[in-house]
Amino acid sequence: MDKLKENQAAYYPGCALLTIDRAYNNSSKLVSKKLGIELIEIPDYNCCGIGEMKSKGAASMYMPLRNMMIAKNRLGSKNLIMACSVCYHEFSRSIERVRENQDELSDVNAIFKGAGEFDEEFVPDGEARHILEFLYNEKGVDEVKKNTVKPLKGLKVAPYYGCLYSRPSMYTFTDKKPQMDNSERPRFMHEFLEALGAETVFYGNEVQCCGGRNVVQDEETSFTLCSQTISKAKKAGADVIALICPKCAGALDVNQPKIVEKFGKDSELPIVYLTQLMALAFGFSKKEAEFGDMFSKPLKILDEKGF
Amino acid sequence: MALEKREQRPVAEKGEHIIARHLIEDENIKEEKNLVIDGVDVSGRWNTFVLSRVNSEFDRSFFQEIKKTVVGSRINRCWQCGMCTASCTVTPLYRRFNPRAFIYMMQLGNLKELKKYIDVAWRCVGCYKCSQRCPKQVNPAEMMEALALVVKKYFPEEIATKLKLDEEVKKIYEDMIIGHGRLDLAKLHTSAMQKSGRIKELLGKIERDAILKMAKDGRAFSILRLGKPHNWGKSKEAIEKYLKNINTIENSGTGGLNG
Repeated sequence: MDKLKENQAAYYPGCALLTIDRAYNNSSKLVSKKLGIELIEIPDYNCCGIGEMKSKGAASMYMPLRNMMIAKNRLGSKNLIMACSVCYHEFSRSIERVRENQDELSDVNAIFKGAGEFDEEFVPDGEARHILEFLYNEKGVDEVKKNTVKPLKGLKVAPYYGCLYSRPSMYTFTDKKPQMDNSERPRFMHEFLEALGAETVFYGNEVQCCGGRNVVQDEETSFTLCSQTISKAKKAGADVIALICPKCAGALDVNQPKIVEKFGKDSELPIVYLTQLMALAFGFSKKEAEFGDMFSKPLKILDEKGF
Repeated sequence: MALEKREQRPVAEKGEHIIARHLIEDENIKEEKNLVIDGVDVSGRWNTFVLSRVNSEFDRSFFQEIKKTVVGSRINRCWQCGMCTASCTVTPLYRRFNPRAFIYMMQLGNLKELKKYIDVAWRCVGCYKCSQRCPKQVNPAEMMEALALVVKKYFPEEIATKLKLDEEVKKIYEDMIIGHGRLDLAKLHTSAMQKSGRIKELLGKIERDAILKMAKDGRAFSILRLGKPHNWGKSKEAIEKYLKNINTIENSGTGGLNG
């Protein structure tokens, strides 16, 4: 594969974004392209481990770092961009850990050697970047404002950051990144949404957990947490909730019919991805932004509001 | 709200107002309805006394065992401030889930006490609020993974009964991640439903609608195209070899892959 050109960036899609969350994948690419950065998928990516591998020592770090190696070797990019918060967390965790701990780095390198895929050793000199933080730092709010041709006037959006985008700061907020969000009160998504012309609402559950990790073993916890988040956002007057993580979508969007069945109509609210709203405001059609893919039917409210 | 329905605070006859009451045994609480000490009436909730316990059976080897693992490497730093429990997402839902107490029990090697909390030990949702706010960077969120390792090693019979579903789902994840290199979400969902004996639910209206919707817009077929990373077999072998040779509790009875 060719090395990256200018205005191209290495992109890690992850397992969810290539299958059921293609709306997030495609809209992320559309938006980035409009802002002047083409996202190039790395070849032969593997799963990041989605937190289920953590108790497996250095193997948990090998999973994400193999993708960093691919980006470096095949695309010539030290940094890797991803849209999924869980992947982002796993990547940042692994990079930060091997950077601080020499033993863990040599353990990881031993696995690399055993696999024999790459000639050189892994050196932790790159960074994992979340698409929100990446676009904010590289392009900025002004650029988003400039590209907005169809402002989302009158749309009240509840931004939902979830857990792993901003937490824990010891993994995600390294000094190598230009500017980082606040971990207790993130604001990048707020600023983007306001630049798009939408109105953000404060509802108190912006960084609350959706319980997505245990959703298969412990549905009740996840449903309870999600119902709290949705009903709070609804009470605050939000029309939609904007997400930046496919795992949150799994819990809030895909499971919403079940949550409504259990907790009532208070827990019913359309869920969209931030990048879908950005694509809409940038002049792409609702079909291109793939709002129809969401299970919580955001098309209805968008039609009502006349977008 | 639903929270109250789920697990009521342990209503005890004695010491009901003590925070984390579940950590204290009934017989260790002394409470008198009417009590006068040195001429001062201390009746009611003001005369609750907790008898001090003596635990002289420290097992420091246990502490070292945890410290050797990747997730538990910072256990020595914890000074028991309780910030993790205060910020925990799960504690309001399961009152007995108390990260501070779990770390304390692990520091002391108090397996007898840990055993009482096996049913809630794996309820951590990994939201990392605790790790964010911990003043000593203990990383309690990952310490809960170390707890899972401890439970796995020392209480295999409880794993087979109380935590059967958690263990099986974890195994599905691991088999898929290590074995195939990528995660097939549809397969994960159906096999987890199968393991928990809820296969009938898949035919219910909600699930059926979801499957139909995804078949209609073509997403169901993209799952089939997900495939395997090229040359993943080599990585799989290397990971399995690493897991086999690892000499900490990370290598203890995790089922098919290295057990």
